Amino acid sequence: MTSFYLFGAVAVGASLLVIAQRNPVYSVLLLIASFGALSGLYVLLDAPFVAVIQIIVYAGAIMVLFLFVVMLLNAPHEDTEQDLERMASRRPAAAGGVRIFGGALAAGLLVELWWALTKNGGESGVFPGGAVSSVRTIGRSLFTDYAFAFEVTSVLILVAMVGAVVLARREVVTGLGRGRPPGPRTLK
Amino acid sequence: MTPLLIAQIGLTLFVFVMLLSSAAVMVYVERKVAAMLQQRLGPYLVGPKGLLQPLADVIKLMFKEELRPLAADPLLFALAPILSATAAFAAFAVVPFGADTTLFGLLREPLRLQVADVNVAILVIFAIASMGVYGIVLAGWSSNSKYSLIGGLRSSAQMISYELSYGLALAGVLVIANSLSLSDIVNRQSGTWLGFLPRWFLFVQPLGFFIYMTAGIAETNRAPFDFPEAEQELVAGYHTEYSSMSFAMFFLAEYINMVTMSAVATDLFLGGWHGPFLPESLGWIWFLLKVAAILFFYVWMRWTLPRYRYDQLMRFGWKILLPLAVVNLLVTAAGVLYFGA
Amino acid sequence: MMPTLNDYLVLSAILFAIGTAGVFVRRNLITILLSIEIMLNAVNLTFVAFGRALGAVDGQILVFFVMTVAAAEAAVGLAIVIDLFRHRESLNPDSFASLKW
Repeated sequence: MTSFYLFGAVAVGASLLVIAQRNPVYSVLLLIASFGALSGLYVLLDAPFVAVIQIIVYAGAIMVLFLFVVMLLNAPHEDTEQDLERMASRRPAAAGGVRIFGGALAAGLLVELWWALTKNGGESGVFPGGAVSSVRTIGRSLFTDYAFAFEVTSVLILVAMVGAVVLARREVVTGLGRGRPPGPRTLK
Repeated sequence: MTPLLIAQIGLTLFVFVMLLSSAAVMVYVERKVAAMLQQRLGPYLVGPKGLLQPLADVIKLMFKEELRPLAADPLLFALAPILSATAAFAAFAVVPFGADTTLFGLLREPLRLQVADVNVAILVIFAIASMGVYGIVLAGWSSNSKYSLIGGLRSSAQMISYELSYGLALAGVLVIANSLSLSDIVNRQSGTWLGFLPRWFLFVQPLGFFIYMTAGIAETNRAPFDFPEAEQELVAGYHTEYSSMSFAMFFLAEYINMVTMSAVATDLFLGGWHGPFLPESLGWIWFLLKVAAILFFYVWMRWTLPRYRYDQLMRFGWKILLPLAVVNLLVTAAGVLYFGA
Repeated sequence: MMPTLNDYLVLSAILFAIGTAGVFVRRNLITILLSIEIMLNAVNLTFVAFGRALGAVDGQILVFFVMTVAAAEAAVGLAIVIDLFRHRESLNPDSFASLKW
C-alpha cells in the first residue's frame, strides 16, 4: 500500500510540475520521472513486462525525441515578448479567458470522474490473487488473437516515419535541381 | 535478519565495491596496454610497476576545483554526471556472475550470485542502457557550450541508432534460449557439443555476437566510435566543461558501462560461468577470465583502429548493422522453428 | 491492505485531469504534446489495472498498442512543431491562427 501511495504521489506531483513548468527541458525530465513512477505501479500490478517496456519506449525513445526537439529549437520559453505583442494586437483578452475556461473544464472532468468512481462503492475491485502474467502469455496472445492489430500497427509506424521525415526535412535550395525552387512559400 | 538476507546485502555491497575498483583497474590496464601497443612504458613511477597510478589520479581529481560555467543550468549541470553514473551502476544489478553457492557451507540455502534476479533481466538491462543517454544529453545541453552541445547531440544520436541493433542482437539469443532471464540463458549454455565444443551461444549466433560487440562499443562511446569526445574537433565532447569529481563520475560511468557490457556479453554468448576444468562452484573464475578477455579486446580496439567519421558511423549503423541484425533475427527464428529450440 | 482497483482508477483520473488541464492551460506546443502523453499514460494505467482485475493479459496488450500510437503521434507531432517553428519562430499555438502564410 505504501509503495502504491509513494509511486502515485510521485506520478501526480511530477505530472503537475510538468504543466506548471516554464522551461520545456524541465517539463520533459519531470515527465520521465512520472513515467518511472508509473512503471513502478505496473510492477505492483504484476505487469513487469509493461513496466520495462514503459521505460524502454517512453523514457528511452519518445522522451529522448522530445528532448532533442526542445534542444534543437533552443528551448524557447513560453510567451516571449514577441508573442505577447503579437497576441495583444490580435485578440486582446481571449487568451486569458481560454485558460480559465480550460482549467475549469479540466477540474470539472476530475470531479466527474471522481464522482463516478466513488458512486458504486469504493470498496469494490479487490484484485484476485496469483494472476502473474508472463511475457510468454503476452506474446502468445499478441501474435495470435491480436495478430491483425499488430500488423496494422507496423503500417502505422511506417506511415508515421515517412510523415515525420517529409515534414521535418529542411529543403535544400542551393543544390542543383534538388529541393523546391524559391517560391512564395519561402517568403515570410 | 536471516543469514541469506545478510549474505545478499553483503553481495550487493561487494558488487558495488568491485565495480568501483574495476574502473580503477581498467584505467591502469588501459594505460599499460596502450603503452605496450605503442612500445612505451606507461605508468611506472607510482607504486610497484605504477600500480598505484589510478589511486593517485583519483586523489588528484578529488582535490581539483569544481568549475561551472556562468551560463550553465546549475541543477541539470549537477544532475547529469549523477544520472550517468547511476545508470551505469544500476545495469549491473541484474547480471548474474556465478552459479548458486552456499559460501563454503556457511548458508543453509544457496545464494544466487546476482544482485537482483528479475525474470525480464535482459529487458531491464536494455531499459537502463537507454536511460544512460540522458546523462550525456543533459551534460551537453546544460553546459551551455557549443562543444558540449554538439558532443551531447552526436552521442545521443549515436546511442539511439545503435540501440536498435543492440536490441535485435539480444533478441536472437532470446529466441534460442527461450527465456528472458539471464541465469536461465547461462544455464542453457552448460555442457558441450560432440564432447569438446562448449555449448556457447557464440557458436550458434556468431553474427549476433559480432553485432552485439559492435553496437556495444558504440553504446559505450568507445573508440573507434568515440565521437562524443572526438578530441580533434570537439575538445572533450559532452564533458568539456566538467572538472573534478563530476568529471570523474563520467569517467567512472564509461568504464563501468564497459564492464557491464562485457559481463552481459559473457552471459549471453560465452556461456557465463560455465567452462571446463573448474567445478561449478568456482565458475566465477571463468566468468572473470571471459570478462577480462572482452575488456582487453575493447582496449586493443581503441589503440588499433582510427576513429570513423560521423556520417560513416551513421551510415554503418543504419544501412549495414541494422539490416544485418534483422536478417540475423529472421534466420535465427526460422532455424528455431525448423529444428526446435 | 492492498490497493484496490478503485485506487488505481482514481489515480488514473487525477493524471488524466492533469493532462487535460495541461492541454487547455499551457500555450506551448511542446508542453501540450507532453500533456497528451500524460493523458495516454493515465489510460494505460487503467488498462493494466483492469487487466489485473480481470486476470487477463488483454489490458497489457492494449497498452502495447497505445504506446505504439503514442510513438507515432510524438514523431509526427514533433515534426510538425519543428516545421511550424521554422515558419514563425514561435511555439505558441495562438501565433498559428492564420490558415495561410
